[in-house]
Amino acid sequence: MSTATLPSTSRPTMTQTTTASAGAPALNPAYIQIKDFSFYYGAAKVLHGLSLDIPEQQVTAFIGPSGCGKSTLLRNLNRMNDLVDGIRHEGDILVNGHSIYDPLIEVIALRKRIGMVFQKSNPFPKSIYENVVYSLRVAGRNGKAELDEVVERSLKGAALWDEVKDRLHESAFGLSGGQMQRLCIARAIANRPEILLMDEPCSALDPIATAKVEELIHELKKEFTIVIVTHNMQQAARVSDRTAFFYLGKLIEYDVTTNIFQNPANAQTEAYVSGRFG
Amino acid sequence: MPAKPTPPPVPARFQVGKATLLMDRFMNQFIKIGGLSVIVAVFGIFIFILVQILPLFRGAQAEELKAFQLEPGDYVQLGIDEWSELPFAMQADGDLNFIDVVGDRGVMTKTLPFAADHGVGAVQYNQLAQRLAVGTRDGQFSLVEIAYRPTYGAGNARTIEAELKAGDLLAIGRPGVPVAMIGYADAGARKLAVAKQIVDGRMELHAVTLAQRRTLMGGGRITLDRTYNLTGLVTGTIDKFLVAAQADSVLIATTEGELIYLFLDGGEFYVRQRLKPFAHLPDPRIKLLNYVFGDVTFVTVGMNGETKGYSLFLDPAVGSRQFGETKRFDARPGATEVFAASVRNKAFLLGTERHARLIFSTTETVRWQQDLGFSVRQAIIGGKYDRMVFLDEASKLHFFRLNDPHPESSFRAFFGKLWYEGAPAPKYDWQSTGGSDDFEPKLSLVPLIIGSLKGTFYALLFAVPIALLAAIYTSQFLKPEVKTIVKPTMEIMASLPSVVLGFLAALWLAPILETRVPSVILIVTLVPLTALAFGWAWTKLPPRARLAIAPGWEFVVFLPMMFAAGYTAWHLGPSLERLIFVVTDPTSGQRVADFRLWWPSVTGTPFEQRNSLVVGFMMGFAVIPIIFTIAEDALSNVPQSLRSGSLALGASRWQTAFRIVLPTASAGIFSALMIGLGRAVGETMIVVMATGNTPIMEWNIFSGMRTLSANIAVELPEAPHHGTLYRTLFLGAMVLFVMTFLVNTVAEVLRQRLRDRYKTVE
Repeated sequence: MSTATLPSTSRPTMTQTTTASAGAPALNPAYIQIKDFSFYYGAAKVLHGLSLDIPEQQVTAFIGPSGCGKSTLLRNLNRMNDLVDGIRHEGDILVNGHSIYDPLIEVIALRKRIGMVFQKSNPFPKSIYENVVYSLRVAGRNGKAELDEVVERSLKGAALWDEVKDRLHESAFGLSGGQMQRLCIARAIANRPEILLMDEPCSALDPIATAKVEELIHELKKEFTIVIVTHNMQQAARVSDRTAFFYLGKLIEYDVTTNIFQNPANAQTEAYVSGRFG
Repeated sequence: MPAKPTPPPVPARFQVGKATLLMDRFMNQFIKIGGLSVIVAVFGIFIFILVQILPLFRGAQAEELKAFQLEPGDYVQLGIDEWSELPFAMQADGDLNFIDVVGDRGVMTKTLPFAADHGVGAVQYNQLAQRLAVGTRDGQFSLVEIAYRPTYGAGNARTIEAELKAGDLLAIGRPGVPVAMIGYADAGARKLAVAKQIVDGRMELHAVTLAQRRTLMGGGRITLDRTYNLTGLVTGTIDKFLVAAQADSVLIATTEGELIYLFLDGGEFYVRQRLKPFAHLPDPRIKLLNYVFGDVTFVTVGMNGETKGYSLFLDPAVGSRQFGETKRFDARPGATEVFAASVRNKAFLLGTERHARLIFSTTETVRWQQDLGFSVRQAIIGGKYDRMVFLDEASKLHFFRLNDPHPESSFRAFFGKLWYEGAPAPKYDWQSTGGSDDFEPKLSLVPLIIGSLKGTFYALLFAVPIALLAAIYTSQFLKPEVKTIVKPTMEIMASLPSVVLGFLAALWLAPILETRVPSVILIVTLVPLTALAFGWAWTKLPPRARLAIAPGWEFVVFLPMMFAAGYTAWHLGPSLERLIFVVTDPTSGQRVADFRLWWPSVTGTPFEQRNSLVVGFMMGFAVIPIIFTIAEDALSNVPQSLRSGSLALGASRWQTAFRIVLPTASAGIFSALMIGLGRAVGETMIVVMATGNTPIMEWNIFSGMRTLSANIAVELPEAPHHGTLYRTLFLGAMVLFVMTFLVNTVAEVLRQRLRDRYKTVE
């Protein structure tokens, strides 16, 4: 995709174009359309008929108080919720115009296309190198030259290369918390997915590590479409282009980030972003 | 003195209840005591076992109790009663001097009734039968019974009385010629007497067989049956000879150093074997030649002190039972003058100049040796292997106490190869008891250790794949609602008493498996193949068809197919047998389809009904739930975040299970395997019931085994308290203890390493 060269300063313009072209998703390969999506854990309905479009190569932030369903929605985008028992959904989610719930698509293939970084860093009990190339190994790609190249590119992409290049074959558990999270990001981008889902990636990190990850998100945006869930409104304001505010399983407001934080249309949004509840 | 300011009272809400504190302290101490008690108990068991087995590795002790000066004379034979209270020393003229070694009766002399008229030419003493065979100076011999009898006097004091009961004088050899040497053996139906005479300066050897009429009143008179002149069979000059207790052979040593083994078969003697034990020496003469107890092994000493043992065994190359060199004992330079064999075990005493040593033939070990202050002329070992009597050159009788409760034991006896009597080669063997008194115990623990390892191996071979794959499937693929049923069910399986399993194995499974081995072979190949084929076919199914079954419920389709495969394999077994496992019956020449005959004919190893396959199945049944439960817990305890991380990277469930979950849980799985191994090694009841308990040394799956634990269970009730067998069984327990201790220690070290390697961030 040549659009990776788009400058970040063109954010507002970009936002305008993508929202305007929402009706023609086929043009954007990584376009996510959430259509009247409801989700149930057993009898409990946790998402209530959400509809929103997520544009390509931008950072979209999901914010909202705990239990609002933002993480649940994120985890549905790559069908990680399939692991949970007693789930049910209504509505549909389309990626690149195709339903991810189409029985004919392979969940494994879907997840190769949509990477995910978790709230708590979860490196595998393997070396740094093996962590990064895991997605290639499970795909049967074992060529050393390719793996070496992927490791270097991914770790550089995750701004971790300089810190770990001399100990690639040591255990990933020797890293600090912030490094581990960046390793998980490197691991997620190793197979060059189209979309990167980040579930509160900085919640367990100190401010310095957080700053590094945020900086990284800015860089990654050039290549990936990023959806990030965060509790930290400053973070949402800093890193995202668009922000969706959820409350009690409903989408309250979805707009360009600057609008949400400076000029929210909804009173609840205003109360939340100004810290009066939540 | 100013009163100290009392601290302000603590408000009630900050106070800790006395009961709370008391309970806390009590529990602290209680748990400490409990933990220490466990350690003390384990050490206690260890020390107890150690105390039980240490006497096995102690040599014999001997000390001189008393000495009696006899009248100087020519003493030719020592004898001793069963209780070692009234030994005798026999003089060449036929006087028996009985010496009261416990009481104060001193020396009592009894004379052979025929000694005065016929003279005494030679004598042979049988300690076991308390019988003297006495050859006269006029070509006759008599069997003299020494009747020892306890009598009880005042205060129940026991004294032993001895009485001589001389039998008839029977002719042997040339009439009127003195008997120079006599040998006699009584094997019940067959009695053989052999005498050496010197006729006109020439050695002659004569033998007679005797007959005894049995009457209701006991043994009748002994009469001559047949006479033989063996002189012609012997080349060389007869030096000494032995008549074996079986009364079927004479072993002759010539002055040229040759041994000639004459065998009585079909009413005739013939030379079965000739050998020269010391042919390699400059002086090949034979200094000493004597049987050890049982008369299957003889010990011979050369002129230079070299001491060897020869045993009768059937050499397949020769085709008959012949003597072969099986033992080599510590040589002691100098002329060995005296030999005495124990009548209780395979020990014998050798006296060389001013030195005596007690050797145990089976193990070739010197049990005891000592420099004596006298020269030994005669020696004898007490009937209970607890006394030794020596007669020195000054006719002084030395009475020794011998303390050697475990002569059969030695490190080599337990863990090394020994050349047992009657065996064609040295081997590891366990056979602790036998039918006769002269039985040689075989106490090698090696077949039992092999048996334990064999049983464990086959059990784990069956159990580990099933238990681990089941654990992986249950923890990674099965729906939780099914898992809540599967897991407790498997745990109930673990609670089945092993005696029930053993019973099932022996009486139900073994007879079925005996005839259905081809079916079993088919099942273990077909069922996994079906599983693989099903998995392959499942991925090739159109997704819509697959969607009919929710993920995690695939077993609903899979299980019937597995059962179908198992059923088909079971019923195809006989066809396979007819196709492949066909042998030609050697008697009728017919072709028979029977695996039980096919296996021995092809592999040369036996097929038994109670075999390792049965044990493997049943012990596996006992081990599976243990491995399954612990492994399943370990696998389920792998953090969900790791699984999610793997799945989110596009790994399949199977890849996640094998690449992430399994390595991460490896420490726990390893523990599961080790606990399963421990259970299999120590398992007793199933093995006792389902194997033939034959202590064999082979890995053949269709033969049985005897494990260390089963051995203890089977033999301990028959082992006399503090006897050699009793302590050997404890040694087996110690070996088991050490084996499990070593395995557990190594396992724990490995487990820690695995845990460090695959620890997850928490």
